Amino acid sequence: MDERWALSRRQFLRTLAASGAVAATDLAWWEEPFLSPGRAYGASPVRFQFSVPEPKRTALVESLVERFNKSQSDVEVKVEFVPQAQARQKLITAITAGTPPDCCQVWDNWVGELEGMGAVEDLTGRVKDWKHYKDTLPIAWQTVTVKGRILSFPWVVTNDSLYYRTDRLKEYGLKVPSEDWTWDDFLALAKGFTRVDRNQYGFGMRGQGTWAVLYATEFMYGNGARVLKDGTVAINSKEAVAGLEWYLDLFRKHKVTPPSMPTDGWRQIVEGFGRGVTNTYLHNSGSAEEQKGFVGPQNFATIPLPIGPAKQRASFYFSETLTLFKQAKNKEGAWKFLTFLMDDEPKFMYCKTLGLLPARKSIADRPEFSKDPALAGFVKSFPFSVVSPYLAYPGWGGKLDSEGVPLFQQAMVGKISAKECLDRFAEVLTKNMA
Amino acid sequence: MAYPEATVAAPLARPLISRRTRDVLTGYAYLIPAAVCLGGTIAFPILKAIHMSLYRHVLFRPQEYGFIGLGNYGRLLRDEVFWLTLWNSFIWVAGSVSLQFLGGFAAALLLHQAFRGRALVRTVTLLPWVIPGVVVALVWEWLYQPNYGVINDLLLRLGLLTERVAWLSDPALAMPAVIATNVWRGVPFFAIMLLAGLQAIPDELYEAALVDGASVLHRFWHITLPLLRPIIVVATATRIVWTFNYADLIFVMTSGGPANATQITSTYTLLQAYSDLDFGYAATLSVVLLVIMLVFTTAYLRVTRGIESVA
Repeated sequence: MDERWALSRRQFLRTLAASGAVAATDLAWWEEPFLSPGRAYGASPVRFQFSVPEPKRTALVESLVERFNKSQSDVEVKVEFVPQAQARQKLITAITAGTPPDCCQVWDNWVGELEGMGAVEDLTGRVKDWKHYKDTLPIAWQTVTVKGRILSFPWVVTNDSLYYRTDRLKEYGLKVPSEDWTWDDFLALAKGFTRVDRNQYGFGMRGQGTWAVLYATEFMYGNGARVLKDGTVAINSKEAVAGLEWYLDLFRKHKVTPPSMPTDGWRQIVEGFGRGVTNTYLHNSGSAEEQKGFVGPQNFATIPLPIGPAKQRASFYFSETLTLFKQAKNKEGAWKFLTFLMDDEPKFMYCKTLGLLPARKSIADRPEFSKDPALAGFVKSFPFSVVSPYLAYPGWGGKLDSEGVPLFQQAMVGKISAKECLDRFAEVLTKNMA
Repeated sequence: MAYPEATVAAPLARPLISRRTRDVLTGYAYLIPAAVCLGGTIAFPILKAIHMSLYRHVLFRPQEYGFIGLGNYGRLLRDEVFWLTLWNSFIWVAGSVSLQFLGGFAAALLLHQAFRGRALVRTVTLLPWVIPGVVVALVWEWLYQPNYGVINDLLLRLGLLTERVAWLSDPALAMPAVIATNVWRGVPFFAIMLLAGLQAIPDELYEAALVDGASVLHRFWHITLPLLRPIIVVATATRIVWTFNYADLIFVMTSGGPANATQITSTYTLLQAYSDLDFGYAATLSVVLLVIMLVFTTAYLRVTRGIESVA
C-alpha cells in the first residue's frame, strides 16, 4: 500500500473536527445556510407564506418560486407552506409577535383584520404606478381596498356559480337550464336529479364553514335582501327571511340535498359531486379542474345562479390576495416577487393550472378561460357579481364562522326558525361592526 | 528541649447557619431544579392564563388591549353557548366514561379467562388505544358517512334501516355517535387497568369462597369488586378529567356541530382562541374549566376517601 495515501489517525481526527466545524457553522446560520446550493452571492431573502398547500398548489408555487429565484441575483424567495386551517391564526400570531413573513397569500376577508392590526403595507402609490394597474379589473381592486387604500394585489378572483351534471341531465331526460332560469326551474331540476333509491341528490348544499352562510345569503339577495342598507344591518328583513326559508326548504321540505348536509363542508360538497352522489352544487371555479378529473370534462358544466322572485341574483366576489407587511425585512424584494407573480405568464400558469380566474382583463380574455365550458358559468356571472358584503367590517370575519354558522345550522335542522336565525345573526353583525 | 507554647483552645465561632438548618436548606436546594421545571411548565401557564383572563385580548384588535377585571367572567355568565357547552360536556363525560368503564370491565373479565390465543386477543384489544385520536376521528367519520359509510351500508343490507341515516349531521344523533367513537377508543384503557388489578387478586380467595359455597355473583360482589375499587377510583377519575378536556375527536368529527349539538367547553375554548382569536375570553374559559375540574377532583377524592386503603 502506498503510504502517501494512507490516512493517519491524527489526519482522520483533524478531518472529523473540520467537518464538525463546517456543520456547526451551517447550523448556526440556519436561516441562511452556509452551504446553500445555487444561491447567488449577496442575495437577500424574502419570506413568503402560502396556505392551501394541497399537492398541486404546492408544486405549482414551488415551481414559480424557483423560476423567480433563477431570474434574480439579489433576491431569494423562501416559501413557507402553512395548512389553510392554521394560516390565519399563524399569521396573526406572527404579527403580534413582531415576526410576520415579508409577504404572503391570504384571502381578502382577512385583509380587514390585518389592517385593523396596523400590519399591512399601504400599496396605493406603488400599485398606481405599476404597469398592469389599469389591466386589473376594478372590482378586483375593490376587494383589497380598505378605507380608500389598496392593501394587496388581487392575485386571482372567484365568484360562485352552479355546477351540474350534463350526462345525468340526458339520462333522466331533464331540460338543460337556460342562463336566465328561475328558482322554480332550479327546484324542478333538483327534484328531477334526486333519486334516493340510487343514493343521488339534486343539490350539494353546504352546511359547514363560512360559505354555509355566504351561499344562503346569495339566495337571499335573489329575493331582494341585503346584508347592509344605509350603513345598518338589514339581513333580518322580510325579504331575507323569505329567501332563507325557501333555501332551507331544499333540505327540510323538498329533501333534494344529502342528509349529511348540515355538516357538509367544502370537501364534502366537492367530493359528493365528484363521486356522483349529488348532481349540482354551488361553488367557485376552484374545483373545476378537480371535477374534470372526477367526472370528466364532458360530463359537467357550470351555469349562473337562478334568478330569484325579486328578479335579482348575486354572485359574491372574492379574491386571493398577495399582501406585503409593514414589518417586512425586505420590502423591495417582496414587491419584486409579488409583481412577478402578477405578471403575464406566472399569473396565467397559476390560474390555468388551478382553474381559477385571473384578476387581469387581458389574461381573463384568453380562450383558456373565456371558452372553457367548465368556467362559462363564472364568466357569465360577472355582470351581477358583487364584492362580498361580509368584507365590510373586519370584526365580521371570525364571527361568521364562530357564531353565524351554528345559527344557520340551527335553522337548517329546524331548531329555530329562519326569522329567529336572522334576527340573532343581525345582532351578532351589529355588535361587531366596529 | 523546648516545647511549643501551650495555647488555650478558643471556642469556635458559632456558625451563621446551624448544621441542622444547613441540612434542611441543602435538601431544598436539591429540589430547586425540579421546582423550576414544574413552575415553568405548570404554575406559570396557569398564572398566565389567569392573568390573560383579566384582559381584553383579541389578537386582531391590539389597540383595544387592556385590563377589564372580571369583564370576561361576566360575559361568560351571560353566554348562553357556554352553558350549553357545559351541559354537553357533562353528557359527553358521563356517557363516555360510564360506557368505557362497563365495556372495559367486561373485556377485562373475559381477557382474564384462560383460552387459546389470549395474547393475540389482548394485543388486538389494545389497538383502539394505540391509534392517535385524530386518526380515530377520521376513520369513524368515514364509517358514519351517510353516502359511502359502511355502517349505513351494513344496516341497509341487514334490513335494519330503510333509508340512510346522517349520524353526525342530525343533532339528536351526533352526540351519541361521537360518544360511541370515544367509547370504542377508551374501552382498552379500562380493560388493561382492570385486567392488571384482576391478576393481582390471589386465587386462594376465590378457592376459599368456592369451598364456602359462594356463587359467581357473590364472589364477584364480595371479592372482585372490593379489591378492584382502588383501581376503579383512580382510573375513573383520570379518565373523567381527560375526557372533559379531550377536544380533538369532536373537533375533527363534527367541529362542534351541527348547531352546537356536540360543542363541549373545550372545543368552544378552541373556537374562541383560534377562530375569534379572542385569547382573553378563551383564557377565561380555560380557567373556569380548571376550577370545575379542581372542584370535581376534590369532591371525588373526598367521597371515595378510604376506598384506596381497602386493598
